[in-house]
Amino acid sequence: MIDQLPILAEINPGFWVILAGLICTLLPVGHARKAFVIAAPIFAGLLIFQLHDVTTPEVLGGVLQFGPVELTTLRIDKLSVVWGYLFCLAGVINGIYALHEKCRITDSSALIYTGAAIAGVLAGDMITLFIMWELTAISSVFLIWKGGDHAYAAGVRYLAIHVLSGVMLLAGAILHAQANGGDFMFNEIGLTSPGGWLMLLAMGIKVGFPGLHMWMQDAYPKASITGTVILASFTTKFAIYALARGFEGEPILIWIGAIMTCFPVFFAVVENDLRRVLSYSLNNQLGFMVCGIGIGGALAMNGVVGQVFVHVIFKGLLFMSIGAVMYRTGTAKASELGGLFRSMPYTAIFCLIGAGSIAAVPLFAAFVTKAMILAAAVEEHHYIAFLMMLFASAGVMEHSGIKVPHFTFFAHDSGRRVKEAPWNMLAAMSIAGFLCFYLAWPFGGYQQLYALMPFELDKPYQPYTWDHVVFQMQLLFAAIFAFTLLKRFKLYPAERRAEILDVDWTYRKMGLNVAKWGSAMWDRLAVNTKRVRTRFISSAGRRLYQTFSPAGAASEATPSGLAAIMTAGLLFVVLLLAYIAK
Amino acid sequence: MSVETDIPLETEIKTKPVDDIHPLSRKLLFLGDPKVKRNFIWLPLVGMIICIILGIFHPQKHPLPGEQYIPGSWAIYGFVAYSLIVLSASTLFKILGRDEDYYGEGGLPDPDYSTDPMITGEAHHD
Repeated sequence: MIDQLPILAEINPGFWVILAGLICTLLPVGHARKAFVIAAPIFAGLLIFQLHDVTTPEVLGGVLQFGPVELTTLRIDKLSVVWGYLFCLAGVINGIYALHEKCRITDSSALIYTGAAIAGVLAGDMITLFIMWELTAISSVFLIWKGGDHAYAAGVRYLAIHVLSGVMLLAGAILHAQANGGDFMFNEIGLTSPGGWLMLLAMGIKVGFPGLHMWMQDAYPKASITGTVILASFTTKFAIYALARGFEGEPILIWIGAIMTCFPVFFAVVENDLRRVLSYSLNNQLGFMVCGIGIGGALAMNGVVGQVFVHVIFKGLLFMSIGAVMYRTGTAKASELGGLFRSMPYTAIFCLIGAGSIAAVPLFAAFVTKAMILAAAVEEHHYIAFLMMLFASAGVMEHSGIKVPHFTFFAHDSGRRVKEAPWNMLAAMSIAGFLCFYLAWPFGGYQQLYALMPFELDKPYQPYTWDHVVFQMQLLFAAIFAFTLLKRFKLYPAERRAEILDVDWTYRKMGLNVAKWGSAMWDRLAVNTKRVRTRFISSAGRRLYQTFSPAGAASEATPSGLAAIMTAGLLFVVLLLAYIAK
Repeated sequence: MSVETDIPLETEIKTKPVDDIHPLSRKLLFLGDPKVKRNFIWLPLVGMIICIILGIFHPQKHPLPGEQYIPGSWAIYGFVAYSLIVLSASTLFKILGRDEDYYGEGGLPDPDYSTDPMITGEAHHD
C-alpha cells in the first residue's frame, strides 16, 4: 500500500481517522457511518504496521516548516507504535460496541477523538502533540454531553480543565524549546526547566494526579453508555504515553503514582454509582503506570507499556459490561442492582473476566504486566512505594474484583428480569474477554505481548514462576476471605444512594458559593456607592457652581474668576518647564 | 447514617417484565442458594491456607527485608489491607456522603437528545 502511494508514508495515520470522523458529521446514512467507524481504525492500524520498520529506531515523516519552527507530524518508534496499535484496536472494539447506537454525533466525535489520540501518540513534535491534545478534549466532550442534560455542566467543566491542560502544555513546550535552541521535537523533557514543570502539570491533569483527578469521576459516569466506554480508552492513556516519553525515571512520579494507586480505593468503596466506581478504579490503575514511569528502567517501563495495553482492554470490558447492564435496566447504581446473572449470564461472565484481569488473577491479563512494575520497585529498593502498590492491589480486588460484579450480578436479587445485552455489545465484550485471556496465556500468549515491549531486558521476565503465582494467590484469597468474613458478620457496608464529595467540591460548591457571595457583595457595594456617589457628585457640582459660575463666589472677588488665575498659573508652569528643558 | 433523598429512585424507570430466566442461568441458580452463599467462605479460606503452605516451600525470590521470616506475608497484608479499606467505609460515608441532588445538576429528561435509558425513561428490551 505504501509502495504504491508513497504519500501515505508522510501522513500521520491518525489523520485518516480524523478525516473519517469529519466525513461522518455530514453522512446521513447510519450504516455507512458504522462502516467508517469500524474501517477507519483498521486502516490506520494497517498503515502503522506498514510504516513501522523494526530494523530502524524510528520512522519520521510529515515534516512541515513554519518559519523557524519545524514540525515532525509523524514518528513511529518502539514506544509510540504500541500505543498506535492499541488505540486502533480499542477504536474497532468500541465501534462494534456502539453499533446499536444510531447517532451521528457519537459516531463522528468517537472517530475524531480516536484519530486525535492515534495522531497524538504518533506525533514527533510538541506542537502537533498540543493540537491533538486539545482535539481529544474538544471531540470527546460531545460524548459526555450525549449523556443528556444532567451531563451538561460536567461536560463544560471537563472541557475547561482539558483546554487549560492544553494551554499549559503549549506554554511548557515553548519554554522548553526556547531553552533547547528552538527544538520542538518531543523527546525526554525532564524537570530542569520551568517548561518541564509546566508540561508535567499539564500531563498530570490529563492523567489524573491526586488533586487534579476529579474531572474523570465527574464526567465519565455522566457520559452516554457508549461514550463512557470510548472515553475510558484514550485520554488518560494518551497522557501516560506523554509522561513515558518525557519524564521517564523522574523520582517525584514514584510518589505521585503510589498515592494515585491508594487514594481512589477509599472513594470507590463508598461510591454507589458503579460507573463512578470504575472511574476511581481507572484512576488507581493509572497510578501503577505513573509509579512505573517514575521508577524507570527497562523492566518498569516494559511493565508500564504492558499494563497500558491490557488495561485499555480489561477496563473497557468492565465499562462495557456495566454499560450493557445500564442499557437493559436503566441504572448503574449498585443499590438498585443485584442478581442479574439470572438474566444476563454472558455479560456476567465477561464482567468476571474483566474483574479477574484487573485483579491480576493468574491466567488473566494484568497478572503478566503489573508484576513487572512491582518487581522493578523491589529491585530498585522502593519498598514503601511497593507496599503502597500492594495495598492498592488489595483495594483493586475490593472495588473492581468483588464489588462491581457482586453488586451487579450476584448479591440480593433485585427482581429485575431483563434481556441479555444486544449482540454487538456481546461481540465487543467477547473480543475484549478473549484478549484478556490470550495476552496472559502462558503458552504463546503473553510472549506476544512481551514482543511488543520497547525495551531490551538483560534477562527475559518470567511471570509464571511458583513464587509469583503463590504469593499473588495468597493476596487474592485473603482479600476474598476478608470480604466473606465481613459479609458474614454484617460489617460490609450496604450500598446507599448518595453523592460522595471529592476534590471537585472545592470548585463546584465552595468556589461557586464564594463566587456567588462575591457577586452579591459587589451588587450591594454598587448600590451603596451609587447613593454616596450621587450625593457627592451633586454636592460637588453645587459647590463648584456656587464658586465658579458668573454669579459665584470667585467671580465676586476677581472678575476673571479663579479659573482664569489657575489657567494663567498653569501656563506659567508650562513656560517655566519648557525654559528649563531647553 | 443514611442520606435521605426526595428524588425518585431510578428503579421507578419502567422495566417491562421478562419473567423467564436465561437458559444458561438456570444451571447457575444454585449460586443464589443461601446454603451455597453461607458456605462460600470455605473456598477462599482453604485456598489461602494452601497458598500459605505452598509459599513456605516456594519463598519469594526477591523478598522485602525480613519478609522471608513471615509465612503468608502477602496473605496477612492482603487481609489487613482489605479489611482496613472496607471498615473505613462507614466513617468515610459519614464525612463525605451527601444527598444525591447535593450539586443540583439533575437535569430534565431529554429523550430527543439522549439515547440513555436513564434519560429516556425506557429500558431497552429488544
